[in-house]
Formats: sequence, structure tokens, C-alpha cells
Amino acid sequence: MAKAKIKNNVPTKSRTKEDLAVVGKNWSRLDGADKVSGRSIFADDVRLPGMLFAKVVRSPYPHARIISIDTSEAEALPGVKAVITPEDAKDIWIGISQPLLPTENVTHVGHEVAAVAAMSEEIAAQAAALIKVEYERLPELLDVEKALKEDAPQLHEKAALNIGWQQEEEHGDPDAVFAECDVIREDTYITNPSHNCYAEYHVCVADFTKPGKLKMWTPTQTAHLFQQSLAAGFKLPASDVRLLTLNTGGGFTGRTSTRPHHFLAALLSRKAGKPVRLRAAGDEEFIMCRAGGKVIYKLRSGASKDGKLKVIEADLLFDTGAYIESQMIVTLLTSKYIHALYPIEASRYRGRLVHTNHLPYYFHHGGGIAQFQFALGQHVDALAREMGMDPVEFNLLNAVEEGHTTMEGAHYASCGLKECIEKTAAMAGWNDKYGKLPKFKGIGIGIGAMASGAKGLYKHDTSAAFVKVTEDGKASLFVGLPDMGQSSHTTMAIICAEVLGILPTDITVISGDTDTDPLDIGAFTQRGTFNTGNATKNAAIDARDQLAKTAANILEVDEAQLVFRDGKVYPEGQEDKAIAFAKVVYKTLHSREGRFVMGRGFYNSPLEKGTMAYSFGAQIAEVTVDPGTGVVTVDKMTASHDVGRAINPRVVEGQIDGQIFSGMSQVLYEETLMEDGQVMNPSRLDYKMPRAFEMPEVDHIIVESIDPNGPFGAKEVGEGPIVCTMQAIANAVTNAIGDQVTEMPLAPWRVIRAIKD
Amino acid sequence: MAKQLIALTVNGDPYEVAVSPHQTLLEVMRDSLNLTGTKRGCTAGSCGVCTVNGEQGEVILSCLALAVEWDGRSVTTVEGVEEGNELHPIQKSFLEHGAVQCGFCTPGLIMSAKALLDVNTSPSETDINEAMAGVICRCTGHIKVKKAIKEAASVLREREVNHGES
Ligand code: FES
Ligand code: FES
Repeated sequence: MAKAKIKNNVPTKSRTKEDLAVVGKNWSRLDGADKVSGRSIFADDVRLPGMLFAKVVRSPYPHARIISIDTSEAEALPGVKAVITPEDAKDIWIGISQPLLPTENVTHVGHEVAAVAAMSEEIAAQAAALIKVEYERLPELLDVEKALKEDAPQLHEKAALNIGWQQEEEHGDPDAVFAECDVIREDTYITNPSHNCYAEYHVCVADFTKPGKLKMWTPTQTAHLFQQSLAAGFKLPASDVRLLTLNTGGGFTGRTSTRPHHFLAALLSRKAGKPVRLRAAGDEEFIMCRAGGKVIYKLRSGASKDGKLKVIEADLLFDTGAYIESQMIVTLLTSKYIHALYPIEASRYRGRLVHTNHLPYYFHHGGGIAQFQFALGQHVDALAREMGMDPVEFNLLNAVEEGHTTMEGAHYASCGLKECIEKTAAMAGWNDKYGKLPKFKGIGIGIGAMASGAKGLYKHDTSAAFVKVTEDGKASLFVGLPDMGQSSHTTMAIICAEVLGILPTDITVISGDTDTDPLDIGAFTQRGTFNTGNATKNAAIDARDQLAKTAANILEVDEAQLVFRDGKVYPEGQEDKAIAFAKVVYKTLHSREGRFVMGRGFYNSPLEKGTMAYSFGAQIAEVTVDPGTGVVTVDKMTASHDVGRAINPRVVEGQIDGQIFSGMSQVLYEETLMEDGQVMNPSRLDYKMPRAFEMPEVDHIIVESIDPNGPFGAKEVGEGPIVCTMQAIANAVTNAIGDQVTEMPLAPWRVIRAIKD
Repeated sequence: MAKQLIALTVNGDPYEVAVSPHQTLLEVMRDSLNLTGTKRGCTAGSCGVCTVNGEQGEVILSCLALAVEWDGRSVTTVEGVEEGNELHPIQKSFLEHGAVQCGFCTPGLIMSAKALLDVNTSPSETDINEAMAGVICRCTGHIKVKKAIKEAASVLREREVNHGES
């Protein structure tokens, strides 16, 4: 018999919301009842028999030679079970360039020098204080621009001029295009060091008591990459490292790679023969995390007098801190987003990661892209104004559209950018407000693009899924994608339920154990809904195919005519003939074949590099500036996002809200104040974020462009919205005070200075 | 330092537990009683995830409360909010209005909301803002949290009316 194709749920443009049974409705998160009643387990809640507690000894200096380490008093303290020093960590590397513990020099404040494990956190802290380290101070590099100077001391042998990584890219002939431009503008912007500040502090529990087998409970955005990294560090086969994720208390781009504490806990556990918990205490959180460093953005662009943007040039200088592990991702990403929004004719990009004696910096929420857009969005806004154009009009004239392929090859199979701009401007009442507001009131727009997935960072961008269908008509869905709060597990359950024709609440999502999870690169680069969503859909279709055989036999119709919906299976248009989904499962198992229904699926971008889907958004901010204090109040945000298809609309809104919070927080409040290599405000009292009363009203507009490659047309909402927020607020402030504040955060003193100048 | 035996009631359950003078209520609940629903954040009074309610329904940052001072007293934690096997209207509202994302701050938010709504089922925007100001939520931007509290307030108001009539 020819293989029959069952009715395919792949959406087309004509597919309406009404065709979908569960996708597009509001569903509460499946793990929500546990989360509101204190039953959810996080890594700090893990209790293991005999568990010990660790404390790390850290360098107080930005740059120094270690002369000696004396651990004798610590080792003699009752209750201390293991002490490790660089001797114990020889040949253990984090990434490519960082030794786990430095044998010669410490290169930043907080640099790990030794660690202890003891019977309580208290004893561990006492023991750590008893470890005596003698240092000889070395010359320090504390400024990214000075580190580039010829006469600056060189931190790493291989990094001439302290440049650890450099990327240059050119498309078209920028010089020739600049020569044709009627208007050329140059601006310099700065974003300052910041911290992710997730609710859940850095923590891990390591059990390395069985030789050659490491088990670790820790919050992460990617158990798979953590497993690979720990395996490489300890020279183990990856399958002997087991990552257990549980719940993760926020990600915000900050939990995408391993940090020293993961390795230290494992090493202590191996030495002590007991499980070990290592958790950040107080200000340590600001050292263990390592979010964004200072970045200087030099931008230059040109347009023709009819308002067409033709060329963009960007030169980015990143303070990358003492080591580079995976931070080069930030130049790969920012270099792509220079082309993402406007069909320009040429571009030039240079990104340099420069070493300093600051802690190794990674990324804050927005992954470097949102921060880059803070600069680019303001620059383009200024260019439009210089030409006497309204920024909304300018963006509409220049914005990319469906079918566009960027100069570096990204193809937009769906694109609702113009729709986003138009709807947002209309809802915010832009035309009645722009240029018509009283002094110190302002309105500004920010637009953005965001890829779903990032093949090319790694060779594959694979997510896989299994579906196990049980006799009672329910299903278990196995995925390796972590849920850090973005509700991804519930989203996957909705996708699976739609295909099987059952309810999301009939599905148990099983995830968080690399021994049982199918492979998934992780929850970053906004790949979850698109990649894991497609994998889930494929797995569910595979399971449904197996059930369709049984149902077609019973109903004596072709498999292709079957509809799976509302817990029933029936030939299209003949609901009266329906048989219960559970019955079909039962009959499949209780047959001569005795088939147990298990579906499997995976998804990987078919392209050599890059992804198949891009999301777009626009946001308009309305602000009031207090001319006396420089304090900026955000009065209102109007936010649209082209998500392709909203699988769970309320979650989409929640993602937009959270990113408006984080974008507003970064652009107005957040800065880790650095002095002599020290974080001067390492607490949540001194490192400011908005409280409930500071949040503006938010209006949401969900744009659905129904992407041809997305699961039911879905793309992402994981980091697209935040890309618009910072620039929108900054542009509104400019509109209010008549001048740009080019350095983020727009702290009151910076705003006042801009008003006075 | 000598430990002291204290009698502490958590969610109606009586415990006798030996505590050191410097131990906090948070540590004792989590480490001695294994009640891990209350979360450990900054341990310095700045994030609010450790919030519990005292006997009078007051908001307590359990990371700043010394356990010895709680001898003979009782607290309610997020594990004690459910009504029988049912979620409390505040919990239900948080769930249904998408006020929960990563969930790490949620115990703190729920206990702050409960302290407010236990005494005031018609809170103004300012009342809500003030009640929630002690908890940092990085995920939700507080927007759906405020909505959930308003909705829970209306459920609780209705309940008061029905209760009054019966
Ligand atoms: S743990 Fe942060 S306030 Fe108590
Ligand atoms: S839900 Fe994650 S911090 Fe509040």
C-alpha cells in the first residue's frame, strides 16, 4: 500500500484562527500551580545526603602575581572536608583560554584562587577566611580605550594590543556609496557595565562522588552546552556528565555558558567524596555572573536627500575583561544586525573584544543586540531629524519587507515590520503627539528585528523531541529545552496537543535531565518556539501517523481524511463517526501488532548558516523628564511584535512586558559602577531596577505574519521586544529635552548634563 | 555558641527546633525544617523573595528575622496559603493572569499580596504599588502581577459579600 499522508496541520496563510483548536488560546502555565504554592524545586532547594557547602577564595586585586597560598589553618579547622588550590586544578580549562584556577597571576577582582568544602556554609566561610594568599601587585588595565594604547601592558601573550578577538566585515562598497550620499552623520554611543540580576542567584550542586561520573543540578539556559563544557574540562565522555536542570530562576542571556563555580563545586565534590553545593553569597553574585561590559559604538551612516538610508558603518569596542570564552558571539551577532532593518546598499563593521583587568564580561539581557540597537536606533533617529523627517515616516520609508534578503544572506520569509510600525504609531497617537508635546514631555520610536535561532554559532542548531502516548489518551512530551520562565514547556505542550487533537493539560512535559532529554542546544538566540516547536510538532505528527493507521482501519477511510481534534478522531466533515482519541490509542496497543505509540522528531535549520525565521517589532515610548533632577519617568509604552503566530497570546504579552521592564531598567537605571576594578554597588539596593510603582502602562499589539516555516506559523518573542525598548525610550528623552543622551544608562546626572549643554 | 530550643509554628504545624542565636528564620525554615517554598535571595533585605507573613498578617523578610525572636510565635509561608486542596484566590489569579514566569520571586509576591488583601480587598493602585515595592521581579515587569492582584481582590470582595449575606 502506498504510504498515505494524513491531513497535514502545516499552516498556510489562509489558515484562520478558527481552524486551530488549542493554538492561539490563552493557557496557564502547566507548572504554575507548583510555582504559586512553593512546590517548585530550584537548585538551592536540592538536599542530598552528606551534602557539603563550598566557599571560594577570591582575589581582592585586579592584577597581581600569586606569591604563595597557605591553606594549613583552613585544613585544620574541624568540619572542613576539602580544600583546593591551583595545584588541584591543573589542566582544567574553561573554554579555550581560561585556566580554572590561575597558577601565576590573578587578572581581575574576584578571580578564584582557592575553594573549600565544609559541613556548613558557616564553617566554609570561616575556612576560606583562614586561607592566606600573598600577592604582588601588577600594573592594571582598567579602561578599554587605554588598554588599546601601544604602551599599555599586555595581558595575554597572544593578544597584541590586548585585542582578544576582532571581526571585520564589509558588504558592497561602502566608500563609494558614502560618496553618493547627500547626508552623512556620525555619532558615538556608550553602554556601561551591567548585571543580569535574575531572582535566583548563581548556584550549583555537584555530585562527583562516583569516579568518572559527574552529576550537577544548576539553573541553565542550555544543559547541553553545560554538559559539553564540563565534560571537556574534566576530560570525560559527555554522557558521563549528567545535568539536572529543575526550575531556572531567569536566564536573560546570562546562563548560556558554564562559569568557574560549576567546575569548582565538581572538583571539591571529587576531592571530598561528597556532594557539594556552591552558591553566591551577597555581593559575590555580581562577580560570578559577568554580564555586559562597557561598549563604545562609533556609527556613521549616509542617506540620499529623499530619505533613503544607503549605508551604515559601525565600529564597536567591547571591554571583554580578563578572558574570552564564548564572548565572540557578540561580534557575530551585532555584525548581522547592521543589515537587519533597512535594505541598505553597503555596510562596514568592525568589532573588537579588548582585554582589561575587569571580570570576564558576557552579555546582559538583549545579548548585545538590544544594546547595539540603543546606539543604532538613536543614530538613525538623529539622521532622520537632521533631514527634517519624522522618525516614523523615515522608518516606514526604509523598513525591510517580506521576501527581503539582507546583504549577509538572511531571508525574510515573513515580515510584519511595517505593520508593526503603522499599528504602533496609530495606537500611540504618534501624529497627534510628535512635535506637539509640551517641553520636557517626549515621544520616541524604536524598531527591531530578531532571528529565531542562530545556526552558525554551532555547526547544527538542532532541537529534538519525543512523544509518548498512553492508553488513557494522554501524552508525555520529552524535550531538552529549559524553561527559565518563558513558559516554553507549556508552549511545546500546546503545539503537541494541537497535532494530536487533545488538550495541553493532557500533556506532561518531561525535561531537565540530560540522561533522558532528547538533544536541544538550549533556550537562547530565541530558538525555542521555532526550533523546539518544530521538533515537537514533528514528533507529534509521527505519533499521530501511528494512530492514524488504527483509526483508518476502524473507520474504513483513508488516513489522509482523518481529523484529530477535541479528543476525537473522525473523517473530515463526519464528526458523528468520531471515535475517542483514547480508544484509538487503546486499539493500537491491544492489537496483534501491539504497538506502543512513540513519536520522534527533530528540527535543524536546513541552511548552511543562519535561520529560516525572523521576528520584528516596534515600540513607542512616552516620557516625562524632570528638568530639575534629570529623572526620566516612562509614562506609557506601546509595543507591537510580529511573532508569526501567538501560540499562547497571554504569554506573548508577558514576554513583551518583561522585556519592556528590562529594557527600561537597562536604559534608565542599571549600571555596575566600577572603580579600580571593583564593583561599587554589588547589591539589589544599590544596583537599581524599576519597582512596581515605576512601571508604565503597556499597550500590546500582537502582529501575526504566519511564517511559512514556523510551527503553526510561529517565530519568537524571547528577545525581540527588548531590542526596541532602549532606543524607543532614549529617543523619547531626546524628543523631550532636544538633545541626545548618548551614554546608557540615562541616569539623572547624564540627562541634566545634556539639558545644560 | 550555645543553641536554643524554640517552639515555632509554621502554617499551623508546631515545630521544636534548636537554633543558633545568629540563625535567621529563613535558614531555620529552609535548612532545619526543610520548608524550601520560601526562597533565599540576597539574604540582606533587598529582594523580597523570602517574604512570609507573621501572626498579624504582617510582612516579614525572613532573611532579616532572627529565629530566636520567633520562639512561641507563628508564621505563614507560601506553602500554607492554599485552602484545603484548592489554590487560594490570589494563587489562582497569579496563575490565570500570567503573573508567574520563572517563579523564583513568586513566593515573595504572593505573601506580599496576601498581607495586603487580607486587610484590604479594595486596594488602590498606590496600595498595590506600595505593597509590592519590596519584591523585585525581573521577569514580569510587575504588570501582570498588578492585574492579578486586582482580580484576586475582586474575587475576595465578592466572597466577603456572599459571606456577609449568608
Ligand atoms: S532574601 Fe532578599 S530580602 Fe530576604
Ligand atoms: S517571575 Fe521571575 S523574578 Fe519574578
